[in-house]
Amino acid sequence: MTETDAVGERDTVAGGASTEGDTANETLGNHFAAVRSVAMRVFVGDRLGLVVFLGTLAFVGLYWRVGIFITDNYTLANALVALADGQLAVEEAVFGPHLETPGMVLHEGAHYGRNYGQIVFALPFLWALEALAVVVDPGLLLPMVWALVLVALGRESGRVLGRPSLGTNVGAVCGLVAFAVNVAVARPLAPRLFPVAALQVSSILATALAVVTLYRLVARMYDRRTGVAAAMVLGLATPVGFWASLPKRHAVVVALVLGVCYALYRSRQSPSPNDLLSPLGFRALAYAIVGLSTWVHGGEAFGIFLALIAVDVPTARSNGVRSLAVVGTVFFVSMIPFFVTNVLISGNPLQPPRVLSAFQYPTSDAATGGSTGSAGSGGFVQSLLDVLPPIVATPVIAVLDRSSVLFGEFVAGTNTLSSDPGRLYRVFVRGGDIHGVSNRNFSQTIYLTVLEAAPIVAGVVAACVAGGVRLWRSVRRVPRSAISRVRFWLKGFGPSPAATVDAFAIAVAVSFVLMYISRLPLHAQLTVRYLLPVYPLAVYGIVRQASLRRAVGAHWRSALWTWAGGVLLGSQLFVVAVAVESLGRGEAVQVHALVGLAVAGAFALLAASSVFTDRFDRATAVVGGLAAALGTDFILLSGLVYFQYGRYALPAAGWVADLLAAA
Amino acid sequence: MDRSRLLVWTAVAVICAVPVLSGPVVGVVDLTREPLDGIGDGSATIDAVEAPDTALFDRALSSDSYVLKVPDARIHVASIEGRPLVSYKLSIPAMSYSRATTHFLSPDDTGWVDISLARETFAPDRIDQSTYEANLSLILRVNDTKQTLHDEPITLEVTG
Repeated sequence: MTETDAVGERDTVAGGASTEGDTANETLGNHFAAVRSVAMRVFVGDRLGLVVFLGTLAFVGLYWRVGIFITDNYTLANALVALADGQLAVEEAVFGPHLETPGMVLHEGAHYGRNYGQIVFALPFLWALEALAVVVDPGLLLPMVWALVLVALGRESGRVLGRPSLGTNVGAVCGLVAFAVNVAVARPLAPRLFPVAALQVSSILATALAVVTLYRLVARMYDRRTGVAAAMVLGLATPVGFWASLPKRHAVVVALVLGVCYALYRSRQSPSPNDLLSPLGFRALAYAIVGLSTWVHGGEAFGIFLALIAVDVPTARSNGVRSLAVVGTVFFVSMIPFFVTNVLISGNPLQPPRVLSAFQYPTSDAATGGSTGSAGSGGFVQSLLDVLPPIVATPVIAVLDRSSVLFGEFVAGTNTLSSDPGRLYRVFVRGGDIHGVSNRNFSQTIYLTVLEAAPIVAGVVAACVAGGVRLWRSVRRVPRSAISRVRFWLKGFGPSPAATVDAFAIAVAVSFVLMYISRLPLHAQLTVRYLLPVYPLAVYGIVRQASLRRAVGAHWRSALWTWAGGVLLGSQLFVVAVAVESLGRGEAVQVHALVGLAVAGAFALLAASSVFTDRFDRATAVVGGLAAALGTDFILLSGLVYFQYGRYALPAAGWVADLLAAA
Repeated sequence: MDRSRLLVWTAVAVICAVPVLSGPVVGVVDLTREPLDGIGDGSATIDAVEAPDTALFDRALSSDSYVLKVPDARIHVASIEGRPLVSYKLSIPAMSYSRATTHFLSPDDTGWVDISLARETFAPDRIDQSTYEANLSLILRVNDTKQTLHDEPITLEVTG
């Protein structure tokens, strides 16, 4: 309550406008301020969180193209059009040549989409766009919203920095000038693209929420400056920014995963009287977010659920009847939208559209030699079962067969990892020309691995080295049986809130890798989009590493300047290199990949050395800044140069892109 | 009302008012006209053309595919009105392949103008000769008439 009052006092926009002292007006103003302050606390945490949120929106807007990027997008867009007409069945391919697009399912003669949670989330934005377009020129609608975001960003930044009038003035002028430039080169936007734009708005907002959630988590663990650094790395230097404005589920899933991390952390913190939720409330919230994510993607939600239950139940303060009843009830309620959608489509609340027909999973052609494996048959898992006595194995096999829908992907992933561990190299380190991927990417080598797309992820090596060192020391210090050694080491994790989130982050990352590794590497991934939630978890892992916080904290100016230089000069160098060598699209992407890998290698070495010595801290910060800059360069240049499609939401961005294309 | 608040509300008002003025209800001005209006109308005098006589199928960086790299052509525009079109076309009969890129000239395009051909990538199994004979043409299109500026054979060399 105290915080609410304080915010209400500072924000007198609504109340302050009425100088006559009209009591009715004032009460309304107070209500408005109270609602706004609660909304701010729920969604962005504090004013700096709002700046992070608005900054993400402004950045993503720069390269937002209203249009279809990959064929999967048709499925969502057509399903949204159908839903806006009040029906789940998709009858007409408003977008794309036909309804047989990836992810579309055929059930009893009718087509249905997928990711309904995201589609429903996009629906209000479609209505808003259509309503605004009644009076507003559609071609100027998105520039208008973006310019307003700039104005707000300036105002809020000014307040955070303690220079309110300067921030407000700069924001207003920048907003006006940016808007004027966009109007000068404005082009029409066909209202038939509104469903695509609405899906993109939902995805962009989810990205901004994801970035701000990471800020809030890290700011609670350390301080706000570290939080902002983590948020910037996530939004600017990883492919989360790449997928932000694409009508796909990935950004939404990233936001949900980070939401669970945050709720889990709060559920382990000691409560303070200001909190909106008790620790038990936050624990229930974590499950509620998982429940909602079933509505977006059942399979991924199940992976998150397994990770959550594996970490939460053993480490919870209480697993008493009351706690479990609260958590269970909230979890069940949060899955009601999922159940209802399933009942409406298949008649079975537990059968999501995805499992209705089998054709939607393209398996990787790259699976040469290694068996991709199916549930309960063949591979590593089968050989494990063979060893077990029949009396144990038989029920296990029966359960595996029954639950093959749920566990099939994990079993296949485990089999793939044991039979073909080299697959990890093709997913995380070096991609290049992979048979079965490039030829389905129009003969272009536009597949990037995790490290190639986001060299900053190499910082995770520091966490691995630190963990290894700790394990080794604990083994040396406690010369007892192997089991007690492991137990001792596990105790090192401790019951602290941060350690709980660490364990959850590792569990989710492993679960996503297991879920998808049997199908990767795959075409139309670009930045291994199936593993998009792994990127924020990697950023989290980097931030959790004390030696990296020390290095970047001491030399943050060097890091920031290197990043800025790497973006401003580096992106120009890439453009010039591509133009001079007249590189094709696949080649340009590979230039990013190779440069990225080189910097990632250097950063990995320096990050590892930071665990032992602080002698290279400046170099670590500088190379880290460069690695982040390469991630930003790829986001910007892929948006403005390499992958041009649709209409730019900001006509000025389209104008710049045309100039670059002519170069 | 202090100055910065006045500024911010002015900015918000302008940003919100302009799209409404250009909107379907008010419609005082139309700020979002399709720039393709009037495309292909006007006139142009081209008095010199320089086009390459060789081009490359270049082995792509870090893959077995080939990138077709055709150097830019140059045309010298002596005078221009309106928005004439120039299309730059390459056809390879042996591969049953042809590709054209259309450039929109604008009234300030006078003097030498570079005309480029969009790059395309070819799967390795489509290239089975060491050279290909192809044809390169530049066509000016104004007011629904076509004028061939250049139409010559070109040799495509396969490298790498």
